[in-house]
Amino acid sequence: MSNTLYTATGCTRCKIVKNFMEERDIPYVEKDMKAEGKEEFQQFYKANRKYIYRGENGIEFPVFTDGDVIYQGIGPAVAYLLSRGKLDKFFSVGTLHKEWVDGIHVFRGNPEYAGEFIEVLRYLKNNNLKLQVDTKGKNSHILQQILDEGLGDAVIMDVLGPGELYSEILGEDIDINEVEKSIKTAANFPEFYFQTTVVPVVRQDGDTPEISYLAPEEVAEAAKLIEAVTGSKKNPYLIKLFKTKEAKDKRLKAVEPLSAAELLPYRSKARTYQVFTEVEKV
Amino acid sequence: MTYPSVFPTGTTVYNPEKCWSGYTIYQARELGALLVDMNGKEVKLWKGLHGFPNKLLPGGYVMGHTGERNNAYGMQDQIDLVQVDWDGNIVWKFNQYEFIEDPGEEPQWMARQHHDYQREGNPVGYYTPGMEPEVDGGNTLILGHKNVRNTDISDKNLLDDVIIEVDWEGNILWEWACNEHFHELGFDETAKNILARDPNMRQAGEGMGDWMHINSMSKLGPNKWYDAGDERFHPENIIWDARETNINAIIDKKTGKIVWKLGPRYDTSEELKNLGWIIGQHHTHMVPRGLPGEGNILTFDNGGWAGYGSPNPGSPTGRMNAVRDYSRVLEIDPTTFKIVWQYTPVEAGLVHPVDSNRFYSPFISGAQRLPNGNTLITEGSGGRIIEVTSDYEVVWEYISPYWGKFLNMNMVYRAYRVPYDWVPQLEKPGEIPIEKTDVTTFRMPGAAPSGCEDETEVPGVVPYQGDNALCVAAEEELDEE
Repeated sequence: MSNTLYTATGCTRCKIVKNFMEERDIPYVEKDMKAEGKEEFQQFYKANRKYIYRGENGIEFPVFTDGDVIYQGIGPAVAYLLSRGKLDKFFSVGTLHKEWVDGIHVFRGNPEYAGEFIEVLRYLKNNNLKLQVDTKGKNSHILQQILDEGLGDAVIMDVLGPGELYSEILGEDIDINEVEKSIKTAANFPEFYFQTTVVPVVRQDGDTPEISYLAPEEVAEAAKLIEAVTGSKKNPYLIKLFKTKEAKDKRLKAVEPLSAAELLPYRSKARTYQVFTEVEKV
Repeated sequence: MTYPSVFPTGTTVYNPEKCWSGYTIYQARELGALLVDMNGKEVKLWKGLHGFPNKLLPGGYVMGHTGERNNAYGMQDQIDLVQVDWDGNIVWKFNQYEFIEDPGEEPQWMARQHHDYQREGNPVGYYTPGMEPEVDGGNTLILGHKNVRNTDISDKNLLDDVIIEVDWEGNILWEWACNEHFHELGFDETAKNILARDPNMRQAGEGMGDWMHINSMSKLGPNKWYDAGDERFHPENIIWDARETNINAIIDKKTGKIVWKLGPRYDTSEELKNLGWIIGQHHTHMVPRGLPGEGNILTFDNGGWAGYGSPNPGSPTGRMNAVRDYSRVLEIDPTTFKIVWQYTPVEAGLVHPVDSNRFYSPFISGAQRLPNGNTLITEGSGGRIIEVTSDYEVVWEYISPYWGKFLNMNMVYRAYRVPYDWVPQLEKPGEIPIEKTDVTTFRMPGAAPSGCEDETEVPGVVPYQGDNALCVAAEEELDEE
């Protein structure tokens, strides 16, 4: 199968991916969707639109395909070219523009491939890009390495909830010490903020599981955890709305969504421990 | 404004037969929350209690603030909103809106309240039969500040107006931010242009644009318009006015959207032209149910300088491009924009417009409808509070005797009249009439009495005429133009 790189005229990220392939003698054909490759890309897009993310600002380029797989965006493309799929969970197509690259998920990938993951970040960083990573607490040692090497310019950390609910919300077991390490590391990045999404939680109270949103007091506990680990009440902290359509658990899709105004009591409680707490604007 | 340098203060006119008598609460400049009776006797002072404004609640409670943010960093931000009992104990307090760290100042929570607030039970914060504000519970609507960036308006640091609702425990239950509704405000391109360049930049905090300057906020309360099916006037909806933009508006409490608006322009329909250009107004609110004029909009149309629009000789940049040197109190039908009642220099008996600036407060001020149909008017800049009847007779007049040391004015932001029985701690005071003094014969000790000792007749002189030949047109002549 031949490699095709769909690009856009003037797209710096596309040039970086092209350089990466050329440096490693990876053969490819370039199709510029704003020039000679326009028609071909349109056909490709029509045939594969469910694999290609189209955001508010249009389609993120470059889009790489070898005929079997499609990788969109600079992070996923370089990661694939370097590791052939091992780093898939570390990257997704981002939404930031200009020099900023996001869609870099420290917590999601297999820590066995931390070396390759870091190598991708180095490559991006060496090309004068700014990297925004995100985490939910897992792989704290990788986050620490990113900080130590100065690879990350910003980090967003989801503090999912209070310690006793953390594993339930994450969907897998996690040692709260691991979360605390990540919180501590995150607070040392040049830019950072913490956030908690008010999610519905399946609670086993007796025989019948019950579903209810995190309570304001529980979000306050998350804020308290941040204070305890960082020693500061002044961290940037955002409380977000849960989007039911994005829920993976079918039971949670049916939960009535909260309104933006319903986040305000959460903010009041959380401000006891994090005074700059804000709520997401919808 | 031709003020004499010597004039009486305190109560100067009082007709008990025509007044709706009670106590009057106001913030005495740099002194505290002051309660006076109809004869001007100072019956209670909550010393040092700030008031932006002070409001009295049944039971002898007063609302105010323990202090104001350092003016170098904040524009009129009050540290908190408190309810204080007769003995000065703080029985309720809210300050947890924003954690503020100003240079050289102790970091602290602040309410950032300014200009207005409303306690549940009463929509407007003044006496209304059957709608008493709660004193030991209930939610409070608070008008506050928040600094924001919104490049749709300007690239500058904006001082935005927010409205929050807090419960008795201090939890914020609802929040509305004005900048998020910029595109609903009806600015034309000319206004947007000057707003973008100069959103009324003030010096505080290294510069911030006080772009709207909302100075009044109240609930509509139950009203005839909503009863008749007009959803714009839902009792929970909130009315405000913004002096820098000349806008009066009602927002839907549920959606936050603007559902009724008066301004920023007043030349886009015949109704608005007849109403005249409202400028720099204060205290726009709906007269609550149970008071004469209920359902109408009452506002103190200051005049002065305000608005964004086309440059003119009085406004080379287009900021504050509407000017007028007298004030008007207007009562407006919100469905037709027709003036139902007004108190302007004409009703005040002044020759208009040449002497109109004798009724003029270019900032602050307010108007309260009283149960007997009278209106308590705060003509704020000169510290004058008057009660006028529906046929324009001034039946009570009071001049604040308190000038500030830091600001040499006796200004009164907004005064309120309350019934005697809201202050059970006091016996009902006596009500001693004060006739209006004939100033033509009023003399200071040592001054000569009125009248001339030596009058000489001059043969051939003709009688004096009226005022049709002043240097500028006035009254009837003006109407004929």
